[in-house]
Amino acid sequence: MGPPPIVTGLSPNEGPPGTRIKIRGENLGKSPQDLVGLTICGVDSLLTAEWKSENKIIAISGPIKGKGDIIVTTRSGGVGSCNVTFKGYHIATIGPMKESAVWVEETELFTWGRHSLSPSSYQQEDPLGLSVEDAEKKIPEDDLLQFYPTRNGDITSNDFSAGWFLLENHQTTSFNDLHAGLVHLRRKVQGQKEGQLSFLKANIGAVMDQIDTLVNLKDRYEADLPKLGHEPTLKLEKAIKESEHEARKLFDEVLNRKDRAEKTRNALNVLTRFRFLFCLPCVIDRNIKKGDYDIVINDYIRVKNLFHKTDIPIFKAALNEIEKRITDLQTKLHQDLQNMPITVEQQKRLIRYLVNLESPFDAAWDAIKARSEYISKKFGLIHNYHKSLEKPDSKSKSGSASKYSKYNKSPNTEITIIPACVNFTDEICLSITETFPDLWKIGQSYFSGELQVKIEAGRQTEYKHMVMNVIETYCKYVRGSLIPNTLDKTERAQYGTLTLPERDEMALYLPELLHSVRSAYSTFIKLDLPSEALDLVNLVLLDLRIHCMSIMFQQTTEQIKQLTENWKINYTGKFTGVTELPLKFLNLIEDMMKAVKESVLSIEQREISLLENQMAQKEMEKQMNNMLIAFHNVLNNLSSSEDYDECENGTPVVSQLIGTPVSSHKTSSKSNIPIWEHRLLIILSNCLFTKITVLDMLVTKFKENGFPPLQTSLSSAKIKLEQLEKSILDKYLEQKSDPLVGTIEPSMYLGRFDWHLSIPPNDIRPYVKECINNLINVHSEIIHISPTLLNAVLPQVVETVAEELYRLMSCAQRFSREGAVQARADIIALQEFLEGYSTEKAQHYFKEAIEVVPPLDRTDEIIVEDILRQCRARMKIQVMCLRKA
Amino acid sequence: MAKKTTVQPALHKVIMVGSGGVGKSALTLQFMYDEFVEDYEPTKADSYRKKILLDGEEVQIDILDTAGQEDYAAIRDNYFRSGEGFLCIFSITEDESFQATQEFREQILRVKNDDQIPFLLVGNKCDLEEKRKVTLQEAQDRANKWGVPYVETSAKTREHVDKVFYDLMREIRARKKEENKTSNGRGKDKNKKKKLKCIIL
Ligand SMILES: Nc1nc2c(ncn2[C@@H]2O[C@H](COP(=O)(O)OP(=O)(O)OP(=O)(O)O)[C@@H](O)[C@H]2O)c(=O)[nH]1
Ligand SMILES: [Mg+2]
Repeated sequence: MGPPPIVTGLSPNEGPPGTRIKIRGENLGKSPQDLVGLTICGVDSLLTAEWKSENKIIAISGPIKGKGDIIVTTRSGGVGSCNVTFKGYHIATIGPMKESAVWVEETELFTWGRHSLSPSSYQQEDPLGLSVEDAEKKIPEDDLLQFYPTRNGDITSNDFSAGWFLLENHQTTSFNDLHAGLVHLRRKVQGQKEGQLSFLKANIGAVMDQIDTLVNLKDRYEADLPKLGHEPTLKLEKAIKESEHEARKLFDEVLNRKDRAEKTRNALNVLTRFRFLFCLPCVIDRNIKKGDYDIVINDYIRVKNLFHKTDIPIFKAALNEIEKRITDLQTKLHQDLQNMPITVEQQKRLIRYLVNLESPFDAAWDAIKARSEYISKKFGLIHNYHKSLEKPDSKSKSGSASKYSKYNKSPNTEITIIPACVNFTDEICLSITETFPDLWKIGQSYFSGELQVKIEAGRQTEYKHMVMNVIETYCKYVRGSLIPNTLDKTERAQYGTLTLPERDEMALYLPELLHSVRSAYSTFIKLDLPSEALDLVNLVLLDLRIHCMSIMFQQTTEQIKQLTENWKINYTGKFTGVTELPLKFLNLIEDMMKAVKESVLSIEQREISLLENQMAQKEMEKQMNNMLIAFHNVLNNLSSSEDYDECENGTPVVSQLIGTPVSSHKTSSKSNIPIWEHRLLIILSNCLFTKITVLDMLVTKFKENGFPPLQTSLSSAKIKLEQLEKSILDKYLEQKSDPLVGTIEPSMYLGRFDWHLSIPPNDIRPYVKECINNLINVHSEIIHISPTLLNAVLPQVVETVAEELYRLMSCAQRFSREGAVQARADIIALQEFLEGYSTEKAQHYFKEAIEVVPPLDRTDEIIVEDILRQCRARMKIQVMCLRKA
Repeated sequence: MAKKTTVQPALHKVIMVGSGGVGKSALTLQFMYDEFVEDYEPTKADSYRKKILLDGEEVQIDILDTAGQEDYAAIRDNYFRSGEGFLCIFSITEDESFQATQEFREQILRVKNDDQIPFLLVGNKCDLEEKRKVTLQEAQDRANKWGVPYVETSAKTREHVDKVFYDLMREIRARKKEENKTSNGRGKDKNKKKKLKCIIL
């Protein structure tokens, strides 16, 4: 507890009741609340106390008489003490009994009553002329009352007791002093008359004035006497009474007027209040029209507060009127709330209105429901619209030309009408990105309590259901319109009723649509939807991507199937000896890979890599396989269609027999298509090129573009190509070596030659030369198309030649001496000249053939040597042709 | 019936006299509470009392701040009687208040019947030097004539405020000691005074 309060100063230190006293001191309280008690001379004056500061309080004195302390009590310091005293007195201190030379305002005298005229209450001079002692030294009044019951110390009182007085005032005064006091008192009593005289002397002027006034008064009175009679006061009294009456009348009137005014005022107040009530329906109508719903709400709440407990029928009627309007307004707002389209902000505002109007609707929930319904309805509308557009179009399509004719058309003419399912998907993506965020936002507001409505149990799951339903419907529509095969039968009927365009058309739009779905997806991601919902869309996206990829592959496969050969061999640049076909194939795949990479392989937010998806991989592998097979088929078809040139150039295959060189220029004059053998060679060359170079290039391209290696399809393609090579080669050989070998026998026996005849040999026989020439011919044909083929083709031909030679030799019945020489020279010449392209088998055949011929003696051998030497010299150029580079 | 009278420290009763508005209350409040009141509120009669240390001795000072306004002149006599020392204040900015000190001096002497009564002539508002109407010399001369000290103060700046009160109390204390020496003097003195008064009357 803090230090106790202490009062050290009073201003003023005395006064009648009602005096405003400034009380000063220390610790008078820390705040007005801290001040808990104040007594002035024992009278509680806390009520009037005005706390100013810790040093100052202002208070009004109560009905007190006499000196006393001022005690301040504070909560923080307790009951305080007082150094100074306050003296309360009643104003009539200077009464008729007290001498006073100054004018005393007497009006107050009457108000405070005549009975307290005691002059002693004013600070009184000690009758003994001694200084008054301090209050602390005084004997308490109670003690004195014990000593002197019924008596007191008031010198003017009838019950005055000298003992009391002395004990009260001079308890400690010495005897001598008391004695002196007595002398003083005596003198004072004696001097009383003197005193009166001196008082008169001192105030002679005033006394004279008073006498003059009295004389004047008397003169007037006497003068008035005849006029007013002996008792003028009667008249006066009457006049006073009358005037009092009049005054009362006047006053009553004023009072009445005042009463009336008050009544009117009250009535007016009531009227304004009621006017508000009765005008409110109109006001509400007006404000509703203006859309000032806030004001309506305000008024409504006010009127309800004012009148809701009323029993007065007319008020009730008015209230009913208002209620009716409010109910109408609620219904209207509730309808507005569900009237789509509407922004979330507008909805929120309407919800607030409805909540404030205490509407019975579950406004917030209805708003959410309305949104979700709106979305589904919109989906349906969009779907129906596109379906209705599609009908005439699809009919015309069904009548359109076959698949092939379509391909040949340029794609531009094709897309003049965008297929309905494309438009539909695009629009539905756009629609959901526009409408769904609002559904989500208002839902969030609802559950976060922002809408200030009570959230009913189960709403959370219901809402989740709603959201999932919207997303699901969206996904199904997308699936239905683009990849209906991913839906089951019933769903397909519901969502997939739009006809799908042709694959190539689809391929044109799919990347674009993929982009639309993706942007919708990214909207969902931004909204922070639960992953359950996101995954749904993600699955659609995945399927769509796979589908898109598949379509692109298919399209490319189709394009590959349509590849044609122009038979122009590339002699310059990087890839010589092949036509454009394999490069076209490569380019197509490359372009496709680029497109796939751009649209499908790229990974966006929350997407997985297609390469990690097994389904996608499988699909890719399958499509790749198809593609490679397609190209293989292209090559195969080219190589198998011999008829193709039969009609074009009717030249028989035997042309070589006559020894005419390649007839390429002859055929080219007619058309660009080379002869069958050449075509075979070209295809073979392309085949080899594809197998060795293009497939490897594909592998690097795959790597570059981030595709999987697709090893199995490539290796199977390789095997297939090898098989194809072999069949082409067989075909070619059949085409080439059969006639070549076939000519050997007739040529051998030309001119009725036979081995048993004795024709002296001087040169190798013409059939050998022809055979060599034919081989050179083949050689040049191959080298003309692709030197790389030489090793593959020529040895095969040589082998058949060797085999045939052996066969013919072993068929000869008898050799003459000359015949043997001839045969040996022929065989050795062939063996020697064709050595560069002889397989082991061929060598073997040559050896066998020589063995069939009977052995020669020395001279004959020299002849053979001679023939060969001459032959070598003569056929130098031919030999060089067949020599391996 | 004797109470513990000895415990109480000596009490010195000081009375502030002077014309209205010279700064009696201002000086008192400054001395008592270290505050300066800017507004003028005429006094009727204010009492202040607190314990202070006077030269190491605890004493109580009782200040009676009286009314300077003429309206209350009639009640002055009564107050003066109880005073043991007087601070007679005038404002150095107002000659009239200086002239009035003469009357106050006479009234005090008449009531107290003692020309040795502790008394200080105080020229207040010395912070308003530029408005000075009463010269230092004038005031000093008058004080000399009366045989009392003259001090210039400012209730506003608190200059010499403590000094006037302490100086006066020292005089009162000295006076009381002197009185105590002349035993039984008090009653006689009073007697004498009364006589004087009676004679005047
Ligand atoms: N500048 C200045 N003003 C003062 C000084 N002392 C008092 N005042 C001002 O003078 C005015 C009167 O001061 P009070 O102390 O109330 O005068 P007072 O002597 O008590 O007057 P009464 O109570 O009527 O006798 C107030 O407005 C004070 O602010 C002072 O030393 N310097
Ligand atoms: Mg004052």
